[in-house]
Amino acid sequence: MVNVDALRGYAADLLEKGQVRAVIGYRRGTAGVLAQPCTIDEAGEAETLVWDPTCLNNLARYLVEDRQQQAAAQTRNKTPDGRPVAIVAKGCDSRAVAVLLQENYLKREDVVIIGVSCEGSGVIDPRKLAARPEGRWASRVDFAGADAFKVTVGGDETLIPARDLLADRCLECRAAAPALNDVLFGEVVTERGLDEPFRAVKAAQGATEDARWATWEHHFDRCLRCFACRAVCPMCYCPECVVDSTTFVNTPGTTAEEKATRIRWCERSASVSESALYHLTRAIHLAGRCIDCGECERVCPVNIPLRLLNTKLEMEAFEQFQYEAGRDFGQASLLSSFRDEDPNSFIR
Amino acid sequence: MPNSSQSPAPEAQAHEPRVVAFLCKWCSSAGSDLAGVSRIQYSANATPITIPCTGSMSPLYVLSAFNKGADGVLVSGCHPGDCHYMEGNYLARRKLYLVKQLLQFVGLEAERFRMSWVSAAEGAKFAEVIDEFVGDLRPLGPQTRLKAKH
Amino acid sequence: MSKRTGVFVCHCGKNIAATVDVKKVARELAKDDGVVFCEDYVYMCSDPGQGAVIDAIKENDLDGMVISCCSPTLHEKTFRDASELGGLSGFRCEIANIREQCSWVHKDPDEATDKAIKISRAAVRRVQRNEPLDPIGVPVTRRALVVGGGIAGIQTALDLADAGLDVILVEKQSTIGGNMLKLSETFPTLDCSQCILSPKMVAVSKNPRIRLLTESEVESVSGFVGNFRVRIKKKAQYVDPELCKLCDDCSQVCPVAVPNEYDEGLTNRRAIFIPFAQAIPASFTLDEAACLGLKPVVCGKCEEVCEAGAIDFDKRPTVFEEEVGAIVVATGYDLYGMDKLGEYGAGRYADVLDGLQFERLCSASGATEGHILRPSDHKVPKEIVFIQCSGSRDPENHCAWCSKICCMYTAKHATLYKHHVPDGQAYVFYIDIRSGGKGYEEFVQRSMEKDGVIYLRGRVSRVYEQGGKLRVLGVDTLSGRNVEIAADMVVLAQAMEPSKGTAEIAKTLKIGLGKDGFLAEAHPKLKPVESVTAGIYLAGAAQGPKDIPETVAQASAAASKVIALLSKEELHHSPTVAKVRDPYCTGCAMCVDACPYEAIGLVGGKAAVNEVLCQGCGSCVGVCVRAAIDVKNVSQLQIHEMISAVLAA
Repeated sequence: MVNVDALRGYAADLLEKGQVRAVIGYRRGTAGVLAQPCTIDEAGEAETLVWDPTCLNNLARYLVEDRQQQAAAQTRNKTPDGRPVAIVAKGCDSRAVAVLLQENYLKREDVVIIGVSCEGSGVIDPRKLAARPEGRWASRVDFAGADAFKVTVGGDETLIPARDLLADRCLECRAAAPALNDVLFGEVVTERGLDEPFRAVKAAQGATEDARWATWEHHFDRCLRCFACRAVCPMCYCPECVVDSTTFVNTPGTTAEEKATRIRWCERSASVSESALYHLTRAIHLAGRCIDCGECERVCPVNIPLRLLNTKLEMEAFEQFQYEAGRDFGQASLLSSFRDEDPNSFIR
Repeated sequence: MPNSSQSPAPEAQAHEPRVVAFLCKWCSSAGSDLAGVSRIQYSANATPITIPCTGSMSPLYVLSAFNKGADGVLVSGCHPGDCHYMEGNYLARRKLYLVKQLLQFVGLEAERFRMSWVSAAEGAKFAEVIDEFVGDLRPLGPQTRLKAKH
Repeated sequence: MSKRTGVFVCHCGKNIAATVDVKKVARELAKDDGVVFCEDYVYMCSDPGQGAVIDAIKENDLDGMVISCCSPTLHEKTFRDASELGGLSGFRCEIANIREQCSWVHKDPDEATDKAIKISRAAVRRVQRNEPLDPIGVPVTRRALVVGGGIAGIQTALDLADAGLDVILVEKQSTIGGNMLKLSETFPTLDCSQCILSPKMVAVSKNPRIRLLTESEVESVSGFVGNFRVRIKKKAQYVDPELCKLCDDCSQVCPVAVPNEYDEGLTNRRAIFIPFAQAIPASFTLDEAACLGLKPVVCGKCEEVCEAGAIDFDKRPTVFEEEVGAIVVATGYDLYGMDKLGEYGAGRYADVLDGLQFERLCSASGATEGHILRPSDHKVPKEIVFIQCSGSRDPENHCAWCSKICCMYTAKHATLYKHHVPDGQAYVFYIDIRSGGKGYEEFVQRSMEKDGVIYLRGRVSRVYEQGGKLRVLGVDTLSGRNVEIAADMVVLAQAMEPSKGTAEIAKTLKIGLGKDGFLAEAHPKLKPVESVTAGIYLAGAAQGPKDIPETVAQASAAASKVIALLSKEELHHSPTVAKVRDPYCTGCAMCVDACPYEAIGLVGGKAAVNEVLCQGCGSCVGVCVRAAIDVKNVSQLQIHEMISAVLAA
């Protein structure tokens, strides 16, 4: 079991001794059952940190935001506080940090990883919880071993099978503890009796070609192009998204010629073709980088199963190239490396 | 010759596939030159765009071609081990394998994206690759799934 | 961006115009945005055609030019030069290939014309965004490296030194001379191989411009044409060639005997030995794998008897770093392994030999001092069978290629045999006789007519031993009869294959290999001595089977290419290299990993391209998810524009 008091103590100690500038973690949410991300910079606030199955967010995203703020401070000629930031990280969050390290977005010494184990379980899917009669009024969800969650409704506590509430990605998770950490709270659980990895993708690709297109055409048609998927993704830290002209970076050095020559790979209209181009590009740009935190899918306001696109490619990477995003931050990236024995039979 | 006999008469007005063929400069483009020098006739449906190396292929080129209405996209480069730049075709193979998998996953017809290795000495193979591809595309009709409607 | 583009559509006589409606192409292109001039012309590459380009640029103030004509491999340079003469940067001129890729491969005029318009239009859209680039100048190191000290490497080194260039000649073995040093006489003149080779070997050793490094190998190479950096590893020199007096006292006391590779395993040698009397460097050498003395308590006899004090067991390998401007690879050939030809009894019967072993038997410097004797019992073979194409021209089981020299050396072997054993009978099994070359056919005819060699057209199915004879079962396809010969000796004209280590050196030098494993030339016809990497040249049998005169010719050709290259003050490098779009780069270094030339590094957290190392392949472009890097004049924007042009309704 993760000893949350010990976690709080560790965070308080880091802040107390001034070893970190801030701690990114979770605290009790102000609306509903879900925990919410927080950044604390005083030891006294460490008491508010929590760790439970409602800690859904991938906090690595906040490391990205933090770095962007640091960079912005630098451009305003302020000397940034050079001390590292600590982050509370689940398995998937720590893999995201590993990818950010692999891509030189962060330096190892700039981050302290406070690992937390998912106790052989995972986090909940709030939609699954809300779909249950007791779920809508739940005030707390706690780990209760690998197979169940303890849901508190009013004064009552009920055990609900983990399988019924777990987020889809947690059902398929292969590493529910952070391999990359500076300190780990809770146990590393390697045996998992839940779904096999990539189950959902395998089911989806079992449909006929026409059925697959019908499904995805429906999804692409519903996409609002709100870009929430991109905003929440820790890997979508590009200064300018190549398939969205709204994010074009203009610096004092940007010439009119440059502005005029930006490539419009994709129109802004939310039509099937343009949304398909956006989502497919995003998927391929995340190949070997997506660590399956499922955040894109969670935040999608129209419930597009975006995880499938990414996990499809992660499955291919794993099965064909024995590559796992975030496994090792020293590895060469999936697409900038190759092996002689890579698949060749698809080529004429 | 390769085309004329393939389409049955009642569908004489059938859609002619439009193919964008990305050819690496050193092998496949040179192979297409050899097909020309050897006067090997093949289907005119594929328009070549010469790139330095298949390794330089951005996945966006493929997606963009489909978006702009290509019925098929071909990427052709040097055989493994023969890349003028030593490694570019290996990088391309891994990347475009994933592109192909992704396109199939969302239900684009599997035949619409193809990759081939054609060396500078394989003029005949170049012609075969194009004819086969166009022949496989013809029954599929126009590509509407990823094509922009505007 | 170009706003005044000109287009010329070439008829190429009827080559284009017979299929493509060139007038229509010109009419359609004239409608394109930014196209201010558009004409067709019968032969653009003719002098008046080039003049029209120059005039059009001047008269219309063109800032971009497209020539729709033949493949850019043919006339891109012609028209870029013409553009320069017209005052337009050559890099603002692009070729649309409407001949090889269009008129020659399509019959339907409508289809061909439509495709020609698309190809031309794509080129217009591309050229409109071409930058007017200047070639990148780089300094030149006036020194060359030659890898391999056979006849090819020797000839190259001598020619280079003759032209006043410093040469480093690296040879893996302990003497230069290669396979040629093992040969007895050479076809078709039958002059003694060592007699014609050794003067060149001596010339190498005496030439102050040639630094000879035997027992050495190239470990790694970095850099680029004009400026390579090579690491060379030289094995420990246990015998100092400067001190060795060639007295042979050492080998007399050496207790070790191992097969002598310089005698193709027909004899044994000591662990300390000299490969040939003519060896260069003229010194004994110590085979560290066989020597006991490297474990001091075990032996050390040679060191004790060496009066010159030339032997030192404590020597260590040394590694050098050298800068050179050009490299010639002349790593030669090996014979196809005898172990792979079990059906001919190879490796099983002592009297089944390969071509090089037979050379050693015939050679005055060989174990038998030139007498042809059976290795098994030292008897003179009275009937001898030569099998041509042993391992060659057999794509199913062995090598697909013709090894080119075997027809000739087999005829030579048969002739030499008859000279040594006038009452013996020689048989040759062959598929074809390929005797192209000056005096070659006459030589083969002479062997048949004067020396009575019996040629049997057909393959041998099996060789087996019976009653002290080698029974050769074959078929004579001309008479249609099965043939069985009870021979005393069988000689297999083994296929030539690239020498061991060729694949490795190709990888080290980053040059290509063909399907057959021989080094790949840059163009099969027009660049036969250039490798695919600028500044690296090929000579000799490592590039493909060839005989001595061809090898020497290619070696001199490679040398003259190097001389021409290194005679320049400064080299020019294509400026179509990668360019980082700084604001978009996040420093993820995927491009750094993907670059095959180590041309990209991180500077201040952003990718930075070394333009001199960059070859413009675009591997970086293909992996950058931020589109933060482009290859100049084939940018992603240009490709996007070309895709649009090709797919425009």
